[in-house]
Amino acid sequence: MLFKKLTCALCLVSCALFYIGCAGKAPSSSSITVWHWMTDRQQAFDELAKRYEKQTGIKVNFELYAPSDAYSQKVRAAAQGQTLPDIFGILGEKRDFSSFIKAGHVLDLTSYMDENQGQWRKKLFAKALAINEYNEGNSYGIKPGVYGVPIDVMTIEMVYNKDLFKELGLNPNRPPQTFAEFIDIGKKIKAANKQGLVSGWGEVWMIDCLANNYAFNIMGKDKVIATIKGEVPYTDPDWIKVLTLFKEMEDSGVLANGLVTMVNKTAEQLFANGKAVFAFNGSWCVNVYNGMNPKLNYAAMLPPKASDKFPMTIWGGAGSSFLVNGRSPRAKEAVKFLQWLTDNDQQAYLAENTRNLPSNKESLKKIPEVLAQFADDVEFTTHPNVWGVSEFPAVIEALDKGIQSIIIKERTPEQVASEVQKIKERELAKKR
Amino acid sequence: MKTTRYYKTKKITVNTLIHMFLLTVSVSCIFPLIWMVSSSLKTQETIFKDTSLIPKEFHFENYYYAWIEGGFGRNFLNSIFYTTAVVVGIIVVSSMAAYAFSRLKFPGRNLIFYVFMAAMMIPIPGSFVPLYVLLTKLHLRNTAFGYILCMINVGLSTSIFLLKTFFDKMPKELEDAARIDGCSKMGIWWHVALPLAKPVLAVVVVFNALNVWNEYVLALIIFDSKPLMPLQVALMTFQGEFITRYPLLMAGLTITALPIILVYLLMQKYIVKGVTQGAVVG
Repeated sequence: MLFKKLTCALCLVSCALFYIGCAGKAPSSSSITVWHWMTDRQQAFDELAKRYEKQTGIKVNFELYAPSDAYSQKVRAAAQGQTLPDIFGILGEKRDFSSFIKAGHVLDLTSYMDENQGQWRKKLFAKALAINEYNEGNSYGIKPGVYGVPIDVMTIEMVYNKDLFKELGLNPNRPPQTFAEFIDIGKKIKAANKQGLVSGWGEVWMIDCLANNYAFNIMGKDKVIATIKGEVPYTDPDWIKVLTLFKEMEDSGVLANGLVTMVNKTAEQLFANGKAVFAFNGSWCVNVYNGMNPKLNYAAMLPPKASDKFPMTIWGGAGSSFLVNGRSPRAKEAVKFLQWLTDNDQQAYLAENTRNLPSNKESLKKIPEVLAQFADDVEFTTHPNVWGVSEFPAVIEALDKGIQSIIIKERTPEQVASEVQKIKERELAKKR
Repeated sequence: MKTTRYYKTKKITVNTLIHMFLLTVSVSCIFPLIWMVSSSLKTQETIFKDTSLIPKEFHFENYYYAWIEGGFGRNFLNSIFYTTAVVVGIIVVSSMAAYAFSRLKFPGRNLIFYVFMAAMMIPIPGSFVPLYVLLTKLHLRNTAFGYILCMINVGLSTSIFLLKTFFDKMPKELEDAARIDGCSKMGIWWHVALPLAKPVLAVVVVFNALNVWNEYVLALIIFDSKPLMPLQVALMTFQGEFITRYPLLMAGLTITALPIILVYLLMQKYIVKGVTQGAVVG
């Protein structure tokens, strides 16, 4: 009796599982599949896919897999299982990107970029394209060329609240140009008992970003690269000067309370609600602030320069990029679709609907004013992914945590520089 | 007289302190739920400005948009199906395996048991890529069957451990009596061991149901088809890289929390028994 019951139950379960086991649909051979993680862009992508199908008869499926860390795991797993879609994106450092290229998962787009006298290449911001480009003699051992298509660009810089500027007796249309002016404003903020700069410095990469901005401004790109290569020590006076800027910022009162443990979501909330004078954030913040407080009166600015020796450089370049699967039987169709997606009209549509900076230079006319200010600064951008060399993660961590300890007055800039250098030497010795 | 008053005062003071402590714990447990429901009735703008628990305006439409935009209808049914199938699978396999480990003597019994226990130590994200490759080779990727098998595998080790501990303490006399009455080994498992293990089975059900209901990373990795995705993946559509649509996310979370709260309430009696009666069996 018991066995009969069990057998019946197992048969029922098996039938159900067999039925649902067949439920997975294989993509149609004539359609292009795109995997992405950009939740806020799904609706716009779907609309563009409809337009593309109407124009060409080719169906494009934008498949959203969020959040981004789970998406990254899916892409890595799919690469190992050789089941990547026609178009996908990679989130991570350039060395991850390089490993995908080496494994043959990414199509070289150089010939497509250069056809018709480089028509496609010319439309895109060079800085954005550079993120997906490998130059001659790159340290990753990749054949020189372009391997990805930026669909938007981003810059990371400062924003300031114009209304709070007025309250502090400052000209809302003239943000601080120099570090000294910035520090002076810090004193006014402290006297008025307001909060100064907010940012996601609890997620340490944003500190790294600002520290690098000032490193480029104080010592220039070549010396920063030489430091990464191990030719210049972190105990160099220029690096101490960079670290000292953070001490000066803290002493002046220009940094908000609790900044070192602040996550970017909190920083965005504080700035959007008019509770902080400055924020250090990426161009994506335009969309974020609009969602939190559409009436926020603010403007974008470059971080105030600390030296006249070299120009102020900010992190930026490609925001999100798409790659074509090197093994896809529809690779050519996928490239054509990306050419269409980065064309003027589609880029203008994306910028208008998602408030992201378009990667197409000719599509900047319809974007909001603050976003245009971010776009104006694209020429000042750089990114670790285009330097050709990468700093050891342990060194980056030590530098970032060291800056945090300077802000909370646990260590001096000299102590941090010395500790970072020790870790650098240890990592270099390991590499040798 | 003095002594009675002293003891009364002491009792009242101790009880007040205990109740104050329990009230604090209760409030800290319930507050996030209340905040979730409250936030689900606000707008994206007011969620950052209006910190009160009772919103000035109630936006019940958030529930409608969460249901429609998240595609909850299909995903909700999927989650119910996956949870039921996985929990049933785990109960059948783990109770049989635990009974065998506890009562049957076969070569390598301890070794196999320790291997199962070792599986508990492997972090689940560490097995994603091998699982993906294995399922692809077995043509089970992007199928509900493949996902259910993986999730059964995830829950087995802990469930076997819990049930084996229980069966180890079960008096052998009960089995002997059943054997005299003509029960086979399967019969003893079904008629004696399983009914006695109800409190532990309730713990296994709740523990695994929660685990499957809240799982989304493995589902996201092995499914490509949207119609196969569970509810939690649909929830993630409200959480962008830079922007999170909090009202819809909170409305979605409220919807997803309801079934699991219901399961917990239904099983509560057994869970308390399972925890308190662990030492007394039979």
